Amino acid sequence: MFATPVYAATAENGAEHAGALFQIFGLEVTSVITTMWGVMLLLAVVSYFATRNMKLVPTSRLQTFMEMVLEMIIGFLTQVMGDRAKAKRYLPLLGTFFLLILLSNYSGILPGALHGTKSHINGLQAPTSALSVTAGFAIIVFFATHIYGIKAKGLGYFKHFIQPIPILLPLNILEEFTKPLSLSLRLYGNIYGEEMVVVGLFGLVPLLLPLPIQFLGLLFGFIQAFVFTLLAAVYINTATAGH
Amino acid sequence: MSISFPDLLFAIINFLVLLVILKKFLYKPLLTMMDEREKMVKSDLENAENAKNEAQEIKEQYTKQMEQAKKEAQQIIEKATRIGEESRETLLNQAREESARMTEKAQEIIRLEKEEALSQLRNEVASLVVLAAGKVIDKTIDQESHEKLIRDFIAEVGDAS
Repeated sequence: MFATPVYAATAENGAEHAGALFQIFGLEVTSVITTMWGVMLLLAVVSYFATRNMKLVPTSRLQTFMEMVLEMIIGFLTQVMGDRAKAKRYLPLLGTFFLLILLSNYSGILPGALHGTKSHINGLQAPTSALSVTAGFAIIVFFATHIYGIKAKGLGYFKHFIQPIPILLPLNILEEFTKPLSLSLRLYGNIYGEEMVVVGLFGLVPLLLPLPIQFLGLLFGFIQAFVFTLLAAVYINTATAGH
Repeated sequence: MSISFPDLLFAIINFLVLLVILKKFLYKPLLTMMDEREKMVKSDLENAENAKNEAQEIKEQYTKQMEQAKKEAQQIIEKATRIGEESRETLLNQAREESARMTEKAQEIIRLEKEEALSQLRNEVASLVVLAAGKVIDKTIDQESHEKLIRDFIAEVGDAS
Protein backbone atom coordinates (compact mmCIF):
# COMPACT_ATOMS: atom_id res chain seq x y z
CA MET A 1 0.00 0.00 0.00
CA PHE A 2 2.65 2.40 1.05
CA ALA A 3 5.61 1.42 -1.05
CA THR A 4 4.12 0.14 -4.27
CA PRO A 5 4.40 2.65 -7.05
CA VAL A 6 1.30 2.49 -9.12
CA TYR A 7 2.15 3.74 -12.51
CA ALA A 8 -0.58 3.17 -15.00
CA ALA A 9 -3.08 1.74 -12.59
CA THR A 10 -4.15 5.16 -11.35
CA ALA A 11 -6.12 5.89 -14.44
CA GLU A 12 -8.19 2.76 -14.12
CA ASN A 13 -8.70 2.03 -10.46
CA GLY A 14 -7.24 4.97 -8.55
CA ALA A 15 -9.91 6.31 -6.28
CA GLU A 16 -8.13 9.59 -5.87
CA HIS A 17 -7.05 10.36 -9.38
CA ALA A 18 -8.70 11.36 -12.55
CA GLY A 19 -5.70 10.11 -14.44
CA ALA A 20 -2.79 11.80 -16.10
CA LEU A 21 -3.23 15.08 -17.85
CA PHE A 22 0.08 14.95 -19.71
CA GLN A 23 3.63 13.72 -19.25
CA ILE A 24 6.96 15.28 -18.43
CA PHE A 25 10.07 13.11 -19.01
CA GLY A 26 7.77 10.16 -19.17
CA LEU A 27 6.27 10.97 -15.77
CA GLU A 28 2.53 11.42 -15.61
CA VAL A 29 1.34 14.79 -14.41
CA THR A 30 -1.99 14.57 -12.62
CA SER A 31 -4.47 17.11 -11.34
CA VAL A 32 -2.95 17.14 -7.87
CA ILE A 33 0.41 18.18 -9.31
CA THR A 34 -1.00 20.90 -11.53
CA THR A 35 -3.01 22.23 -8.59
CA MET A 36 0.15 22.17 -6.50
CA TRP A 37 1.89 24.19 -9.18
CA GLY A 38 -0.94 26.67 -9.01
CA VAL A 39 -0.56 26.94 -5.24
CA MET A 40 3.20 27.32 -5.62
CA LEU A 41 2.74 30.00 -8.24
CA LEU A 42 0.32 31.86 -5.97
CA LEU A 43 2.72 31.68 -3.02
CA ALA A 44 5.69 32.71 -5.15
CA VAL A 45 3.85 35.67 -6.68
CA VAL A 46 2.47 36.84 -3.33
CA SER A 47 5.92 36.49 -1.75
CA TYR A 48 7.54 38.33 -4.62
CA PHE A 49 5.15 41.26 -4.38
CA ALA A 50 5.21 41.26 -0.58
CA THR A 51 8.97 41.63 -0.45
CA ARG A 52 9.58 43.56 -3.64
CA ASN A 53 9.38 46.99 -2.12
CA MET A 54 9.96 46.32 1.55
CA LYS A 55 10.15 49.15 4.00
CA LEU A 56 11.18 49.30 7.62
CA VAL A 57 7.84 50.90 8.31
CA PRO A 58 5.64 48.91 5.94
CA THR A 59 3.35 50.85 3.69
CA SER A 60 2.12 47.92 1.63
CA ARG A 61 -0.61 45.82 3.15
CA LEU A 62 0.82 42.73 1.53
CA GLN A 63 4.11 43.14 3.37
CA THR A 64 2.30 43.70 6.65
CA PHE A 65 0.12 40.68 6.02
CA MET A 66 3.01 38.36 5.17
CA GLU A 67 4.94 39.63 8.18
CA MET A 68 1.93 38.84 10.32
CA VAL A 69 1.72 35.34 8.84
CA LEU A 70 5.43 34.69 9.41
CA GLU A 71 5.27 36.17 12.90
CA MET A 72 2.36 33.85 13.67
CA ILE A 73 4.26 30.80 12.40
CA ILE A 74 7.41 31.83 14.27
CA GLY A 75 5.40 32.36 17.44
CA PHE A 76 3.84 28.94 17.11
CA LEU A 77 7.18 27.28 16.36
CA THR A 78 8.74 29.10 19.32
CA GLN A 79 6.12 27.57 21.56
CA VAL A 80 6.87 24.12 20.20
CA MET A 81 10.65 24.41 20.15
CA GLY A 82 10.99 26.72 23.13
CA ASP A 83 13.50 28.95 21.41
CA ARG A 84 12.86 31.78 19.01
CA ALA A 85 16.25 31.50 17.34
CA LYS A 86 15.62 27.83 16.69
CA ALA A 87 12.15 28.57 15.38
CA LYS A 88 13.65 31.07 12.96
CA ARG A 89 16.28 28.56 11.86
CA TYR A 90 13.69 25.94 10.90
CA LEU A 91 11.10 28.45 9.69
CA PRO A 92 11.81 27.99 5.95
CA LEU A 93 11.13 24.25 5.98
CA LEU A 94 8.24 24.23 8.45
CA GLY A 95 6.70 27.48 7.23
CA THR A 96 6.73 26.20 3.66
CA PHE A 97 5.01 23.03 4.82
CA PHE A 98 2.35 25.02 6.60
CA LEU A 99 1.66 27.44 3.73
CA LEU A 100 1.75 24.78 1.02
CA ILE A 101 -0.47 22.34 2.92
CA LEU A 102 -2.91 25.02 4.03
CA LEU A 103 -3.43 26.37 0.52
CA SER A 104 -3.46 22.83 -0.90
CA ASN A 105 -6.22 21.89 1.51
CA TYR A 106 -8.20 24.99 0.63
CA SER A 107 -7.74 24.44 -3.10
CA GLY A 108 -10.16 21.52 -2.74
CA ILE A 109 -12.88 23.89 -1.60
CA LEU A 110 -12.65 25.96 -4.76
CA PRO A 111 -15.69 25.55 -6.95
CA GLY A 112 -15.13 22.99 -9.67
CA ALA A 113 -12.38 21.24 -7.79
CA LEU A 114 -12.01 17.54 -8.33
CA HIS A 115 -13.49 15.44 -5.60
CA GLY A 116 -12.50 11.82 -5.80
CA THR A 117 -13.10 10.95 -9.41
CA LYS A 118 -15.86 13.44 -10.01
CA SER A 119 -14.13 16.21 -11.89
CA HIS A 120 -15.55 19.51 -12.92
CA ILE A 121 -12.36 21.18 -13.98
CA ASN A 122 -9.47 19.09 -15.18
CA GLY A 123 -6.28 19.90 -13.34
CA LEU A 124 -7.87 21.15 -10.13
CA GLN A 125 -7.76 18.76 -7.20
CA ALA A 126 -6.57 19.31 -3.65
CA PRO A 127 -2.98 17.96 -3.64
CA THR A 128 -3.29 16.85 -0.03
CA SER A 129 -6.25 14.64 -0.90
CA ALA A 130 -3.78 12.30 -2.61
CA LEU A 131 -1.74 9.94 -0.46
CA SER A 132 1.17 10.13 -2.90
CA VAL A 133 1.57 13.83 -2.22
CA THR A 134 1.26 13.62 1.55
CA ALA A 135 3.68 10.69 1.49
CA GLY A 136 6.11 12.86 -0.44
CA PHE A 137 5.83 15.53 2.25
CA ALA A 138 6.29 12.95 4.99
CA ILE A 139 9.41 11.60 3.30
CA ILE A 140 10.85 15.11 3.26
CA VAL A 141 10.10 15.44 6.98
CA PHE A 142 11.73 12.04 7.55
CA PHE A 143 14.96 13.01 5.84
CA ALA A 144 14.97 16.55 7.19
CA THR A 145 14.59 15.26 10.74
CA HIS A 146 17.58 12.95 10.52
CA ILE A 147 19.74 15.35 8.53
CA TYR A 148 19.09 18.14 11.03
CA GLY A 149 19.69 15.70 13.90
CA ILE A 150 23.07 14.64 12.53
CA LYS A 151 23.93 18.26 11.75
CA ALA A 152 23.12 19.29 15.29
CA LYS A 153 24.70 16.41 17.19
CA GLY A 154 27.08 14.68 14.79
CA LEU A 155 27.29 10.94 15.01
CA GLY A 156 26.10 11.17 18.60
CA TYR A 157 22.68 11.60 17.06
CA PHE A 158 22.39 7.85 16.54
CA LYS A 159 22.85 7.24 20.25
CA HIS A 160 19.20 7.96 20.81
CA PHE A 161 18.30 4.79 18.90
CA ILE A 162 19.73 2.68 21.72
CA GLN A 163 18.21 4.68 24.50
CA PRO A 164 17.05 4.16 27.13
CA ILE A 165 18.28 0.57 26.62
CA PRO A 166 19.91 -0.98 23.52
CA ILE A 167 17.29 -3.68 23.22
CA LEU A 168 14.81 -1.04 22.12
CA LEU A 169 16.80 -0.42 18.92
CA PRO A 170 14.37 -2.21 16.57
CA LEU A 171 11.44 -0.48 18.19
CA ASN A 172 13.13 2.91 17.94
CA ILE A 173 13.89 2.34 14.28
CA LEU A 174 10.34 1.24 13.67
CA GLU A 175 9.12 4.39 15.37
CA GLU A 176 11.12 6.54 12.98
CA PHE A 177 9.26 4.93 10.09
CA THR A 178 5.84 5.13 11.65
CA LYS A 179 6.27 8.87 12.02
CA PRO A 180 6.10 9.66 8.29
CA LEU A 181 3.47 7.01 7.84
CA SER A 182 1.17 8.57 10.42
CA LEU A 183 1.96 12.06 9.13
CA SER A 184 1.00 11.26 5.57
CA LEU A 185 -2.02 9.11 6.39
CA ARG A 186 -3.45 11.64 8.83
CA LEU A 187 -3.28 14.52 6.39
CA TYR A 188 -4.49 12.48 3.43
CA GLY A 189 -7.27 10.79 5.39
CA ASN A 190 -8.68 13.99 6.77
CA ILE A 191 -8.71 15.94 3.55
CA TYR A 192 -9.77 13.03 1.35
CA GLY A 193 -12.44 12.00 3.85
CA GLU A 194 -13.85 15.47 4.12
CA GLU A 195 -14.04 15.72 0.37
CA MET A 196 -15.73 12.35 0.08
CA VAL A 197 -18.37 13.44 2.57
CA VAL A 198 -18.95 16.57 0.53
CA VAL A 199 -19.25 14.47 -2.63
CA GLY A 200 -21.69 12.15 -0.93
CA LEU A 201 -23.87 14.95 0.37
CA PHE A 202 -23.64 16.66 -2.98
CA GLY A 203 -25.03 13.52 -4.55
CA LEU A 204 -27.98 13.57 -2.17
CA VAL A 205 -28.95 17.23 -2.14
CA PRO A 206 -26.67 19.54 -4.04
CA LEU A 207 -28.14 22.70 -2.52
CA LEU A 208 -27.02 23.86 0.92
CA LEU A 209 -26.61 20.39 2.42
CA PRO A 210 -22.84 20.08 1.76
CA LEU A 211 -22.33 23.59 3.11
CA PRO A 212 -21.75 22.71 6.80
CA ILE A 213 -19.18 20.08 5.80
CA GLN A 214 -17.50 22.51 3.44
CA PHE A 215 -17.43 25.01 6.25
CA LEU A 216 -15.88 22.38 8.48
CA GLY A 217 -13.48 21.76 5.62
CA LEU A 218 -12.16 25.28 6.13
CA LEU A 219 -11.51 24.45 9.75
CA PHE A 220 -10.04 21.01 9.02
CA GLY A 221 -7.86 22.46 6.30
CA PHE A 222 -6.29 24.78 8.79
CA ILE A 223 -6.10 22.23 11.58
CA GLN A 224 -4.46 19.59 9.40
CA ALA A 225 -1.86 22.05 8.06
CA PHE A 226 -1.29 23.10 11.64
CA VAL A 227 -0.97 19.55 12.94
CA PHE A 228 1.38 18.47 10.17
CA THR A 229 3.65 21.45 10.87
CA LEU A 230 3.39 20.93 14.60
CA LEU A 231 4.42 17.27 14.39
CA ALA A 232 7.23 18.02 11.95
CA ALA A 233 8.44 20.71 14.36
CA VAL A 234 8.26 18.30 17.28
CA TYR A 235 10.21 15.62 15.37
CA ILE A 236 12.91 18.07 14.34
CA ASN A 237 13.04 19.54 17.82
CA THR A 238 13.52 16.14 19.47
CA ALA A 239 16.14 15.20 16.90
CA THR A 240 18.15 18.36 17.43
CA ALA A 241 17.62 18.85 21.18
CA GLY A 242 20.50 17.90 23.46
CA HIS A 243 19.77 15.27 26.04
CA MET B 1 -5.64 4.40 -1.75
CA SER B 2 -2.50 3.77 -3.66
CA ILE B 3 0.80 5.49 -4.11
CA SER B 4 1.64 6.85 -7.48
CA PHE B 5 5.37 7.20 -7.89
CA PRO B 6 5.27 10.20 -10.29
CA ASP B 7 2.95 12.06 -7.94
CA LEU B 8 5.23 11.35 -5.00
CA LEU B 9 8.32 12.41 -6.93
CA PHE B 10 6.64 15.55 -8.21
CA ALA B 11 5.38 16.37 -4.72
CA ILE B 12 8.91 16.16 -3.33
CA ILE B 13 10.42 18.16 -6.18
CA ASN B 14 7.62 20.71 -5.99
CA PHE B 15 8.14 21.14 -2.29
CA LEU B 16 11.90 21.59 -2.65
CA VAL B 17 11.43 24.11 -5.46
CA LEU B 18 8.88 26.03 -3.43
CA LEU B 19 11.23 25.93 -0.43
CA VAL B 20 13.99 27.54 -2.49
CA ILE B 21 11.63 30.15 -3.97
CA LEU B 22 10.08 31.10 -0.63
CA LYS B 23 13.49 31.18 1.03
CA LYS B 24 14.68 33.67 -1.55
CA PHE B 25 11.54 35.76 -1.86
CA LEU B 26 9.81 35.42 1.49
CA TYR B 27 11.76 34.18 4.49
CA LYS B 28 15.13 35.77 3.91
CA PRO B 29 13.99 39.30 3.01
CA LEU B 30 11.19 39.41 5.54
CA LEU B 31 13.23 38.00 8.41
CA THR B 32 16.08 40.37 7.61
CA MET B 33 13.64 43.23 7.57
CA MET B 34 12.02 42.16 10.82
CA ASP B 35 15.39 41.75 12.52
CA GLU B 36 16.45 45.13 11.27
CA ARG B 37 13.28 46.69 12.57
CA GLU B 38 13.72 45.00 15.91
CA LYS B 39 17.27 46.31 16.10
CA MET B 40 16.12 49.76 15.13
CA VAL B 41 13.32 49.80 17.68
CA LYS B 42 15.74 48.62 20.34
CA SER B 43 18.30 51.26 19.48
CA ASP B 44 15.58 53.89 19.26
CA LEU B 45 14.37 52.96 22.70
CA GLU B 46 17.92 53.13 23.99
CA ASN B 47 18.40 56.51 22.37
CA ALA B 48 15.16 57.72 23.88
CA GLU B 49 16.29 56.50 27.29
CA ASN B 50 19.64 58.25 26.86
CA ALA B 51 17.96 61.43 25.73
CA LYS B 52 15.64 61.27 28.71
CA ASN B 53 18.55 60.85 31.10
CA GLU B 54 20.40 63.66 29.44
CA ALA B 55 17.37 65.90 29.68
CA GLN B 56 17.02 65.00 33.34
CA GLU B 57 20.67 65.85 33.92
CA ILE B 58 20.34 69.14 32.12
CA LYS B 59 17.22 69.93 34.07
CA GLU B 60 18.97 69.21 37.34
CA GLN B 61 21.90 71.33 36.29
CA TYR B 62 19.56 74.09 35.27
CA THR B 63 17.70 73.92 38.54
CA LYS B 64 20.95 74.05 40.44
CA GLN B 65 22.08 77.03 38.42
CA MET B 66 18.78 78.71 38.97
CA GLU B 67 19.05 78.20 42.69
CA GLN B 68 22.57 79.53 42.73
CA ALA B 69 21.55 82.51 40.67
CA LYS B 70 18.70 83.20 43.04
CA LYS B 71 21.01 82.94 46.02
CA GLU B 72 23.47 85.25 44.34
CA ALA B 73 20.75 87.70 43.50
CA GLN B 74 19.59 87.60 47.09
CA GLN B 75 23.13 88.23 48.27
CA ILE B 76 23.55 91.11 45.87
CA ILE B 77 20.29 92.65 47.03
CA GLU B 78 21.31 92.26 50.64
CA LYS B 79 24.69 93.74 49.98
CA ALA B 80 23.15 96.62 48.07
CA THR B 81 20.67 97.24 50.86
CA ARG B 82 23.47 97.21 53.42
CA ILE B 83 25.60 99.56 51.36
CA GLY B 84 22.63 101.83 50.85
CA GLU B 85 21.89 101.89 54.52
CA GLU B 86 25.49 102.50 55.39
CA SER B 87 25.86 105.30 52.91
CA ARG B 88 22.62 106.81 54.13
CA GLU B 89 23.93 106.73 57.65
CA THR B 90 27.23 108.24 56.58
CA LEU B 91 25.56 110.94 54.58
CA LEU B 92 23.23 111.69 57.42
CA ASN B 93 26.10 111.91 59.86
CA GLN B 94 28.03 114.07 57.47
CA ALA B 95 25.07 116.32 57.00
CA ARG B 96 24.57 116.58 60.74
CA GLU B 97 28.21 117.37 61.32
CA GLU B 98 28.17 119.87 58.53
CA SER B 99 25.12 121.61 59.84
CA ALA B 100 26.54 121.61 63.33
CA ARG B 101 29.77 123.07 62.08
CA MET B 102 27.95 125.67 60.06
CA THR B 103 25.80 126.64 62.99
CA GLU B 104 28.88 127.01 65.14
CA LYS B 105 30.60 129.10 62.54
CA ALA B 106 27.57 131.26 62.10
CA GLN B 107 27.32 131.81 65.83
CA GLU B 108 31.00 132.62 65.96
CA ILE B 109 30.60 135.15 63.21
CA ILE B 110 27.59 136.63 64.87
CA ARG B 111 29.50 136.89 68.14
CA LEU B 112 32.47 138.56 66.48
CA GLU B 113 30.28 140.98 64.60
CA LYS B 114 28.44 141.85 67.73
CA GLU B 115 31.65 142.39 69.61
CA GLU B 116 33.03 144.56 66.88
CA ALA B 117 29.84 146.52 66.66
CA LEU B 118 29.83 146.98 70.40
CA SER B 119 33.42 148.16 70.55
CA GLN B 120 32.79 150.53 67.68
CA LEU B 121 29.73 151.81 69.39
CA ARG B 122 31.69 152.29 72.59
CA ASN B 123 34.36 154.29 70.82
CA GLU B 124 31.79 156.37 69.04
CA VAL B 125 29.82 157.07 72.17
CA ALA B 126 32.99 157.99 74.14
CA SER B 127 34.10 160.39 71.45
CA LEU B 128 30.71 161.98 71.39
CA VAL B 129 30.58 162.19 75.14
CA VAL B 130 34.01 163.74 75.35
CA LEU B 131 33.12 166.13 72.56
CA ALA B 132 29.89 167.02 74.33
CA ALA B 133 31.63 167.39 77.66
CA GLY B 134 34.26 169.57 76.03
CA LYS B 135 31.58 171.75 74.65
CA VAL B 136 29.91 171.87 78.00
CA ILE B 137 33.01 172.83 79.92
CA ASP B 138 34.20 174.73 76.88
CA LYS B 139 37.67 173.88 77.11
CA THR B 140 39.68 171.74 74.88
CA ILE B 141 41.53 169.15 76.39
CA ASP B 142 44.87 168.14 75.03
CA GLN B 143 45.26 164.92 73.21
CA GLU B 144 46.68 163.06 76.11
CA SER B 145 44.02 163.96 78.67
CA HIS B 146 41.40 163.42 75.98
CA GLU B 147 42.39 159.84 75.51
CA LYS B 148 42.58 159.30 79.21
CA LEU B 149 39.10 160.62 79.58
CA ILE B 150 37.81 158.26 76.92
CA ARG B 151 39.50 155.27 78.53
CA ASP B 152 38.04 156.15 81.91
CA PHE B 153 34.66 156.62 80.39
CA ILE B 154 34.79 153.35 78.55
CA ALA B 155 35.86 151.64 81.69
CA GLU B 156 32.90 153.06 83.45
CA VAL B 157 30.46 152.45 80.63
CA GLY B 158 31.97 149.05 79.91
CA ASP B 159 31.20 148.00 83.38
CA ALA B 160 27.68 149.07 82.86
CA SER B 161 27.23 147.34 79.49
